[in-house]
Amino acid sequence: MRTYDVRAWVVWLITGALLAIFTRNPFYLVILLTISRIVMAACASPEATKWRLPFWRLAGVILLFSTLFNWLIAHLGQSVILTLPANWPLVGGPLTLEAAAYGFLSGLSLVVLLAIFMTFNAVVPVHQLTRLVPGALHEMGIVMLVAVTYVPETTRQFQRIREAQAIRGHRLRTLRDWRPIVIPLLISGLERAMNLAETMVARGYGSTVQVRLSNKTRLLLVAGSLLFLVGSLRVAWQATDGWVMLFMGAVSIGLVYRFSSRENARTNYRPLTWSWADSIVILFAIGTLVLLIGSVTVIERSVLAYSPYPRLLLPAFEWWVGMSLLGLLMPALLVLVP
Amino acid sequence: MMSGKKTGLQPVLTMMLFALSAMIGVVALAYPFFSPAISPSDATIDSFSSATETPLLAVLLICLSLAVLLVELQGQSAGAKTVAALGVLVAVTTTLRFIEVAIPGPGGFSPIFVPIILSGYVFGPRFGFLMGAMTLLISAIITAGVGPWLPYQMFTAGWMGLTSGWLPHLRQARLELGLLLLFGFGWGLLYGAIMNLYSWPYLAGPTNMTWTPGTGLSGAIARYATFYLATSLIWDLAAAVGNMVLLLILGIPTIRALNRFRDRLQFQTIYHANV
Repeated sequence: MRTYDVRAWVVWLITGALLAIFTRNPFYLVILLTISRIVMAACASPEATKWRLPFWRLAGVILLFSTLFNWLIAHLGQSVILTLPANWPLVGGPLTLEAAAYGFLSGLSLVVLLAIFMTFNAVVPVHQLTRLVPGALHEMGIVMLVAVTYVPETTRQFQRIREAQAIRGHRLRTLRDWRPIVIPLLISGLERAMNLAETMVARGYGSTVQVRLSNKTRLLLVAGSLLFLVGSLRVAWQATDGWVMLFMGAVSIGLVYRFSSRENARTNYRPLTWSWADSIVILFAIGTLVLLIGSVTVIERSVLAYSPYPRLLLPAFEWWVGMSLLGLLMPALLVLVP
Repeated sequence: MMSGKKTGLQPVLTMMLFALSAMIGVVALAYPFFSPAISPSDATIDSFSSATETPLLAVLLICLSLAVLLVELQGQSAGAKTVAALGVLVAVTTTLRFIEVAIPGPGGFSPIFVPIILSGYVFGPRFGFLMGAMTLLISAIITAGVGPWLPYQMFTAGWMGLTSGWLPHLRQARLELGLLLLFGFGWGLLYGAIMNLYSWPYLAGPTNMTWTPGTGLSGAIARYATFYLATSLIWDLAAAVGNMVLLLILGIPTIRALNRFRDRLQFQTIYHANV
């Protein structure tokens, strides 16, 4: 069973999510949906019996809701299906086929986004996710590890407390009966946290490196946030210098992370290994992204776009776009290679 | 633990970061309403770009603001005890959510918000923010619910914990409980409304909000109000009332249990390097 590096999966996820947001063309959306389901089926480890979202039910609800909502609210387009009295608030007016189609496509775009994230959830093991935490947030990474490790233990503790209370004749009937279960769970958990903290200190946690921001880096954070705030407002008012400010703000916040990560450099007991398959996955994902997003910004804005307004027509299907979307299928294809 | 030199500048900078982060959050959430307010007719020309740029930019803003607050607050709360307590409290809360997933409650009710509110209330705003953000992150990872909505959830729940740390500690138990009940109810509604604003640009799209010339901001707000009433008001009311019920049943004993641990959590040995 081939597994991929978590960093390769993140690039795959970002590419898929960006494409799902950028396109409203139903052909491309359906291709993306199919790809994400195939990759999930091929790459999800069979022993992962994680609780999963009921995908198709959720997708059905989203599609139904967004179609109905837009059909009733947006009175645009030329193919009128029926007309409601104009004096009805918001829904009054002509209800069109185009509005329903637009609502359906918006919903489909959301469903594809959901499918891509679900695939990511299914194929990346939890302990690998903590590797994505930057060095500056090292302590949050430890909190994450502690929490993930203690969830099964807390579930067992919950069962034990329930059984112990049941022996004393306790039964869960009303909401009030949760008190004798939740409070002992909380106290025993905190008691265990104290033990854990002492164990950590005994093994030298926090004795050498302390993550602490100096006021100089904090000033940089303030400057970055300020640039971000002003920049986002400038962008809203359609000023191009807003983008420059956003970029500078992101750079200064990135610098804070970089400084802080360098000060708190740590070594890993089990370093991640990078294989040739990871390189191929990442190259194909980036290739797809550059090809499609690049063509949207450089060649033609409407390559990925499709709007049913003002009259519903069959959307265009470009073969090269469909083919380049297949770059995201790489993780599933490489599984076949021994 | 070495006691760091405390200059007068640091609290001021921290408050500035809080304020800036809150403002960035508000801007990100209000983005869908901005374009109709500013240029009601422009969207028809370039509806494609604004349809895709709006949600992307909003997610970017929320992520950056979250990154700023996390690195700032984590840097202040060093120490093995905080890390361990935070981790275990997040695990307990996530387990409660798991039990909740198995037994679905009414509407948007979820038991994870009450622990966030109470630990923020007892351990202070810093702990509250980290608790809120990390609880949502971990429960998303455990229930395989990582999605584009996650930064919004972390940001909003973090602020829920942060603001509960600012609540005054009243001496009368009944008044204290009343205040917390009100707080839980308000945040139950607010959380729902904020999470709605996240999905709003996807489902409705700017075309809907701006196509009719002249409607502008009031039109956009009217449509959001319909969207909210149609989809989420009942759901959010269930969340808000659920928070109140849980606080009523578990609030006071939980505060008592957390208080007992607060002194132990903050107890630290101070070394003097040159003694």
